[in-house]
Amino acid sequence: MELVATAQFRKAMERAVSAGAYTQRIAAMVADLARAGTSVSHPLLEERKTKNGAGLLILTANRGMCGGYNSSILRLGHRCADDLKAGYEKLQILISGKRGISYAKDRGIELAASFDQFNDKPQFSEVVTIADQILADYLAGKIDRFDVAYMKFLSVSKQVPVVETLLPLSELGGEAESESPAKKGAEYEFLPSPESILEEIVPTAFRVKLFKCFLDAAVGEQIARRVAMKAATDNADSMISILTTTYNRARQGQITNEIIEVVSGASALQG
Amino acid sequence: MKCIVVTPEKTEIDQDASFVVAPLYDGEYGIGQGHTPVVARIGAGELRITAPDGAKSVFFIEGGFLESSGDVVSILTNRVLTPDEVTLEKAEADLASAQALEQTTAELFAQKEKAVRTARGMAAAARKWGKK
Repeated sequence: MELVATAQFRKAMERAVSAGAYTQRIAAMVADLARAGTSVSHPLLEERKTKNGAGLLILTANRGMCGGYNSSILRLGHRCADDLKAGYEKLQILISGKRGISYAKDRGIELAASFDQFNDKPQFSEVVTIADQILADYLAGKIDRFDVAYMKFLSVSKQVPVVETLLPLSELGGEAESESPAKKGAEYEFLPSPESILEEIVPTAFRVKLFKCFLDAAVGEQIARRVAMKAATDNADSMISILTTTYNRARQGQITNEIIEVVSGASALQG
Repeated sequence: MKCIVVTPEKTEIDQDASFVVAPLYDGEYGIGQGHTPVVARIGAGELRITAPDGAKSVFFIEGGFLESSGDVVSILTNRVLTPDEVTLEKAEADLASAQALEQTTAELFAQKEKAVRTARGMAAAARKWGKK
């Protein structure tokens, strides 16, 4: 199990890394737009004063055997849901992963939507369907805020459960890649116009960010599973060594007993 | 010059090119060596890359952005399909379902427009490649 989890973790990690290229380029493009003097404003970037509804998506795993992974996210998600309920009139809760869905069912929490098709390989096309639904709800004013609770990947040895606000978007696509000096001086021509590109780039940035959350969650799940399985393997190993010692002692004791009986029987006959 | 095509999932194409023709929102756009820096919106259609040795490759790409600066043409797109993955039948089915979408609000109308354009772009590419 540990080996399986390690192999799956590698795959998930590779996917997460290769997805990073897109995010970085989007961020670089936004930086170029900003340098060209476009004011970066878009309905998705503006904080809303109305508090009609909020959306919360919780990303859990489909399977267990991954230590405290699911429970830590659900605990955080539950707390966050309580906070949002206090601040907004309506709260839509969306959950991905069978573990989270059964958690909600047990506690009688009503779900606006649930997904269990995401395993260790989330597909962009599947995430886009969800992202577009959320965007439509946001633009229609059904929700004024959208949060995601998931396991954020910081490094192989550190992942933390976090709640991130994706709508309104606070920034576009993470850190921009370091610019090469030749690129800095470049004056771009924009087709059709910087505004039109911005209009398209902002929803794209949201979709990609949501996709990144799914990828991070998949990596986090595999790491948690590997750690849990490693602990289980180590535990089993130490248990085996304790049991072997106990067994050997018992066997030794029995042999000693038998020898004593034989010897004492023999000496009784001699005497 | 280098041509890099990236989807949200991975880097699909990373190769040397002497000429790139990309489908922009309003028609095709060709980029050769030493092109002026440009950022543009991409529509749905055929992407043609000519390698320095003259070898040509074609792909179908759908939406996104193109950035050309210095020696690199980078294309960020939602989907990259090889000609083998495109069929006219599928494109027409997509077009029919796109045209059947509702358009009661401005957002829905924009979504429908986009879906119709994408399906039309795919159908055009399929016809050009002689697909059924």
